[in-house]
Amino acid sequence: MPTKILFERIDSIELQGVSKKYGSRFAVESLDLTIEGGELLILIGPSGSGKTTTLRMINRMIEPDSGSILINGQNVMHLDPVRLRRNMGYVIQNIGLFPHMTIEENVGLVPKLEGWDQNRTTERVRYLLDFVSLPPDRFINRYPRQLSGGQQQRVGLARALAMDPPLLLMDEPFGALDPILRKQLQKEFLEIKKEIGRTIVFVTHDIEEAFRLGDRIAVMDNARLLQVGAPEDLIFEPVNELVADIVDTARKFKHMDTLNVKDLMTPLDTKYILEGDLDACHAVEVMKDRNTETCIVLDNGKLIGKLEMVNLLKCEEKNPLVRDIAKPMKVFALRDSVATALSEMKRSGEYMAMVMNGDTICGMLVSDEVLLKLI
Amino acid sequence: MIEIIHRIIILWEKHLLTMRTIEHLEMFSIALTISVITGVSMGIIIYSHPKIASPVLNFLNILETIPDLALLVILLPLLRLGTGPTIAASVIYSLLPIARNTYAGLKAVDAQYVYVAEAIGLSPKDILFKVRIPLSLPLIAGGIRIALVFTMGVVTLGGLVAAGGLGTVLQNGIQLYEKDVIILAGLWTGILAVILDHGAGRIEKELYKRYGTWQPQR
Repeated sequence: MPTKILFERIDSIELQGVSKKYGSRFAVESLDLTIEGGELLILIGPSGSGKTTTLRMINRMIEPDSGSILINGQNVMHLDPVRLRRNMGYVIQNIGLFPHMTIEENVGLVPKLEGWDQNRTTERVRYLLDFVSLPPDRFINRYPRQLSGGQQQRVGLARALAMDPPLLLMDEPFGALDPILRKQLQKEFLEIKKEIGRTIVFVTHDIEEAFRLGDRIAVMDNARLLQVGAPEDLIFEPVNELVADIVDTARKFKHMDTLNVKDLMTPLDTKYILEGDLDACHAVEVMKDRNTETCIVLDNGKLIGKLEMVNLLKCEEKNPLVRDIAKPMKVFALRDSVATALSEMKRSGEYMAMVMNGDTICGMLVSDEVLLKLI
Repeated sequence: MIEIIHRIIILWEKHLLTMRTIEHLEMFSIALTISVITGVSMGIIIYSHPKIASPVLNFLNILETIPDLALLVILLPLLRLGTGPTIAASVIYSLLPIARNTYAGLKAVDAQYVYVAEAIGLSPKDILFKVRIPLSLPLIAGGIRIALVFTMGVVTLGGLVAAGGLGTVLQNGIQLYEKDVIILAGLWTGILAVILDHGAGRIEKELYKRYGTWQPQR
């Protein structure tokens, strides 16, 4: 029986004053948190901090004692739980593939219950297996016990994506895997994340994973939310000792002051370069082909500025040359300190800057990448 | 050797053993089918209504303690002579192992599967039919296998109440004190029971290996 689609996409998930008590102990205490549509929000904290409870309240596997959870303004408590859950994907650490069903039956379970016919289900399952890098022909008829842990976790992700939900809830999905496999799956997951562009709430206790995957990170401890922000907020401005401890600022970033821009810059890839005399319409095509959202505009080797796909789409009517619409960007010298450069970028809300030596372009400084190199 | 086989054939034909075997298996199949349907349903019902589980299982336990001969005799005034009381007695004996195993199987399904099923949006009914029941099939099959042995015994006893079947042949042998018939019918009944139990055992093993035979409706 098909259930109604509750939301095509997520604009926001708002948790307002949410509390959950077990006995006399709070699992989550007056939590206020807004998850924006399209972002990957990490919930991190030591065990018992309330991060999993928070996640499970979003799909009503746990019901809050007080407060409200609104998805696109709809209170989840007013929605039918079965319907609500079919509108979001869910991945857990121990995966929980059903042992009596083949991979196809596992992934296609909810589509079947939604009344899809066999052909459509099989087609969807094959597409999803391919999407998570499992050759469909080899895996579709196997049973879960015939798969390795990593393969099972991929199937778990495929199952979560079966109904193409706008929201994914992930509860330590890579927690049980060995470190190398975990890295590998994180890398693949980043690719998937780019492709599917959904809202994801991701629970982990691994700060490296949080930095690697998260757009924003919410740090919880002892049933309370301590701080929520981008990775650099947590690193540079932890609200208290606990957050600093969790992000491990002291140990990981103590060399930060001694590092120069030169040490952490990325070489400028030609795929990011646009010539200034290109017009906007062609630039859109070029960027689409190169699969990039941002470009650096150069005019005979001279830096003009940066260009974002979003700005280009607006400019299409007049079709100007890219050199005229490129926006100025921050420039740092090779010897500038990374700490200063990053905080300056953060202040102006930019995520990339150019590194120049006099008039020559040496490379780019991308804030996310810098952080990844540091950890 | 040839002489023995010859005697067996004569005895077999004289006592209509082929027909008796068919009668026997017929009663057996009817009784077991009814037992499985009611037993499994009872198991599911008491699983869904945990409050009545313990009284129902206790009641079935009491039924189980009535000696089979006594039970047959009690049922006579209600169901007359013949197959009726035999099948009824078989079912009464089989209910407990099947219902109890079904109930235990449904309860014993690993909580993580139920949790995941709920979390990906299965309704309680879907969870029961697509997850709990398939995953408890091995235990249910174990219960049915016990019931199968009970049923075989009671159906043979049915010869006492004119139910036909191999029990009748045995009964005749005892009445006329024909040792050969007693041995032949006794052995044959035994062999049948062993074969059926062996078959059921293999099915049970297969189910354990596969965790369940559930396939989606094509």
